[in-house]
Amino acid sequence: MRLASARRAPFDAWRTTGRILLTLLGLFSGLPMLWMALTSIKTQFAALQYPPEWWPKDPTLDQYAALLNPSGDVGREFLTYLWNSIWICSTTTALGVAVAAPAAYAFSRFSFPGRVWLFYAVLLRNMFPAVVFLMPLFILMRRLHLVNSGWSLVLTYLTFGLPLSIWLLKGFYDNIPVEIEQAARVDGATRFQAFVRVVLPLSAPGIVATAIYSFIVSWNEYVYATTFLNDDDKLTLPAGLQRFFTEYATNWPGLMAASFIMSVPVVAMFLVLQRYFVRALTEGAVKS
Amino acid sequence: MATGVDRKAASGTPRLRAPLLQRVWLHRVDYLYVAPALGVMLLVIAYPVYYTITLSFFKTSPSLAMADSAFVGFDNYATVLASDSFRDTTMNTAIWTFFSTLVSFALGFGAALALDREFVGRGVLRGLLLVPYVVSAVAASYVWRWIYHSDYGVIGALATALHLTDRPINFLDNTHTALASLIVVNIWKEFPFAMIMMLAGLQTVPEHLHRAAMVDGAGPWHRFWHVTAPHLRGVSVVTLLLMAVANLNSFTIPWIMTGGGPAGSSDIWITQVYQIAFGRVRFGLASAYSVILFAAMMALGVAYVRALGGAKSARAE
Repeated sequence: MRLASARRAPFDAWRTTGRILLTLLGLFSGLPMLWMALTSIKTQFAALQYPPEWWPKDPTLDQYAALLNPSGDVGREFLTYLWNSIWICSTTTALGVAVAAPAAYAFSRFSFPGRVWLFYAVLLRNMFPAVVFLMPLFILMRRLHLVNSGWSLVLTYLTFGLPLSIWLLKGFYDNIPVEIEQAARVDGATRFQAFVRVVLPLSAPGIVATAIYSFIVSWNEYVYATTFLNDDDKLTLPAGLQRFFTEYATNWPGLMAASFIMSVPVVAMFLVLQRYFVRALTEGAVKS
Repeated sequence: MATGVDRKAASGTPRLRAPLLQRVWLHRVDYLYVAPALGVMLLVIAYPVYYTITLSFFKTSPSLAMADSAFVGFDNYATVLASDSFRDTTMNTAIWTFFSTLVSFALGFGAALALDREFVGRGVLRGLLLVPYVVSAVAASYVWRWIYHSDYGVIGALATALHLTDRPINFLDNTHTALASLIVVNIWKEFPFAMIMMLAGLQTVPEHLHRAAMVDGAGPWHRFWHVTAPHLRGVSVVTLLLMAVANLNSFTIPWIMTGGGPAGSSDIWITQVYQIAFGRVRFGLASAYSVILFAAMMALGVAYVRALGGAKSARAE
């Protein structure tokens, strides 16, 4: 076997090179995140030391306490952003899966005319510059009276997520044998019933992967959020952070703490469900 | 043969239309499954594209009311293409895209190759390497701004402590270093994507081919070049294209970290269009700019679809 022979070699230059590369990349990836965490538990005074305190001398959770305290000014603002992000992303994710699941099923099972073109149209969405959509959508949202409403983002994020969701779910459906549905049809189920009762439950991992992916994408989205929303109490976390930054310009520990809180849900979600997530990302390009 | 006759009969134009409509009618229920997705896409994609193209021929007023707009033909296009800032920005975008894509890909590919064997802590390491990709670009931009800070930045302090420079470096407020500093952040954010794509690609390389090559006495380099590499062509092309498009469309990192400055030295296409549209409120001009970018992107889009098709047929062989 390949692995066994690699171990038998007395000195494997390739393996050593690989180890060095991985170590360097690990430091490159991890250190900025570590510095974010370390800064967030410093006092403002300690953060602005030169040379810097490499390790916080007296760590404090004051910044986190301020951000999460609903009766303080900073806390009220931050928790509003947090709540906006949560409801917008959850709604987007739920609607996205509901819309993508039947479409992906149709692309996987049916051979209606125009299927291939539709499918590429769905995929090509990812090629367009976001700005192409930004201006007309801004005007559209003004006409629909959705500017300054989270629903403008729900609608926008929904379409963001759709191409990849459909592509990914189609991959999962393709792997489910048609015979299982046919058995259900023979037992008297309609095509749609077979889809809902048989295929959907079987594709649960794919739906989870799709849902996580679209949640993370909308959680992190910045351009549309910062353009469509103006009122302070309507902003999502990525858009609100900027306001927070300009208003408390010198409070770097506070900003790092806010960034940290914002990163925790997506990183945690991702680490727990890493396998599905990686699958979600690579499915399209690698799957045959 | 019967099928040959059918095909010949169907290729005549008058007879082609009826079967198509018939087939559409036959499959009418199928479209219901796609309808919700299609409806949303039409509203939020087809309409904006149409509207952008329309706007690009008008001089718009800051009120954004079409009634106040004046038809100007191709003036907006001429203005964009003739401007110095467009040329500079295109240059910056090319540098940004080229280096971000290539370095991220090289690092990601290297990491994938190194991770493509069992060792203790492999899963944990892979997770750690993927974190930058999952963290929001906004949070990442602020963290790196803090790391690059001209007075209290940790890189500057490290360089001083190691006696590489005698005073902290000003990364972001310097026309010579701003773009390069942003590219580093972008690579940090993007190499994990190349890594997982290539890791997934490596999984498709049949193990028995490696064993056969080893029996024939092929060394690691030969095995990589003659067994692994040919299998990775499709996924490499797709990954590079996806990353190139993502980089051409970049906005958040440059916008938050430098806003395109100083003196436009880190301005790329999208940050500039955004500035024209929402800073100077000239939607007509910005629309013409977008259409130009859209055309460039479409060319890449066609390449993407071709590469997908190519990757598929290569695998089918």
